[in-house]
Amino acid sequence: MTRPDLQETFQKLVEEHKRILYKVSNAYCKDRDSRDDLAQEILFQLWRSFDRFDGSSRFSTWMYRVALNVAISFYRSESTRTRHVISDEQRLLETADESQSQPEDVRLLYRFIELLDPLNKALILLYLDQNSYQEIAAALGITETNVATKINRLKTRMRREFSGTRQA
Amino acid sequence: MELDALKQTWAEYDRKLDTSIRLNRQLLLAVNINRVRWPLRRFTLGLGLGALIGLIGPAILGQFIYLHRAEPRLALPAAALDIWVIAMVVASIRQMAMALRIDYDKPLTAIQKQIESLRVLRVRIVQWAVLTGQVVWWIPLLIVALKGFWNVDAYKVPGVNFLAVNLAFGLAIIPLSVWVSRRFGDRIGRVPMVGELMRGLAGYSLQSAADRLAAIAEFEKETLES
Repeated sequence: MTRPDLQETFQKLVEEHKRILYKVSNAYCKDRDSRDDLAQEILFQLWRSFDRFDGSSRFSTWMYRVALNVAISFYRSESTRTRHVISDEQRLLETADESQSQPEDVRLLYRFIELLDPLNKALILLYLDQNSYQEIAAALGITETNVATKINRLKTRMRREFSGTRQA
Repeated sequence: MELDALKQTWAEYDRKLDTSIRLNRQLLLAVNINRVRWPLRRFTLGLGLGALIGLIGPAILGQFIYLHRAEPRLALPAAALDIWVIAMVVASIRQMAMALRIDYDKPLTAIQKQIESLRVLRVRIVQWAVLTGQVVWWIPLLIVALKGFWNVDAYKVPGVNFLAVNLAFGLAIIPLSVWVSRRFGDRIGRVPMVGELMRGLAGYSLQSAADRLAAIAEFEKETLES
């Protein structure tokens, strides 16, 4: 594939899966500027690794793996990072009013995700996005049994954390 | 709230996201064109600069050591500087090479371990560079520079007492710096870079990197509980 072809394919695939960029940055960063900073960092690393994407897995799985790796590293260095103020023209992801567009359940889910450590955050995002245990295990580098155990634990924890939320 | 029930809501929300988010095309193109080149340039520049310092520094100091090989009181401080410079260059190159090898499309636990190991290495280099650097780059440098540039013997002017007191003070500063970082790091380390340095000197950065490595190992560990 020539370089312009590669660029075109990359842009097309990223456009198709832009939701992953949004969801990962939303799960790992609280404020809007950091989220956009992270989305740009993810995009940059995706492009850097793109020529090694061989199609042996789905693009979305591969994209998740890169995005989550960048997000965890970014999240850890966020306290010492120089924060950028991003103007609207510099934003990678332009969104409609999020508070309006997010259903209540999704907001609660994000609240739950916020409570988790970086690796469990990655696990739950992959699970919610319909990835199989095998795909999750490959992305995280753990066994399928371990994935199943951890998901069960997350389910129990969620029940505990949000028991009574619906009634309230 | 049930996670499996929310999976459905999440999928519906996912479909809506397609229409509510828009990617900035210009930035998407810019990533392909510009940003990729800059880190590579920065890396090449860093590597080039490191190699230059790594060649020039030891060459100048090597010549000084050779000229004064019969006078250990002059050759030894130069050798200390020489070893410090070479060790720093080697450590920096190793660090850059490790950073370049990080491939974000590998499994999370493997990459995160690699990143934490790199962080441990970086913290150790900073600790070592600051703590030993403030000794090496004062009295040994003074002795070498006075002799090399002005042919002045530092053991006569400013004198052995001055050198001994300053060297002792420099050595005493090492535990003192660690203590100050631990005691007052929070107060004087609010500026991100200073904070990072203080945490590094105090050993906290090493501790948190070790904690994160332990957390990754714990995450990888298989348990029978379900």
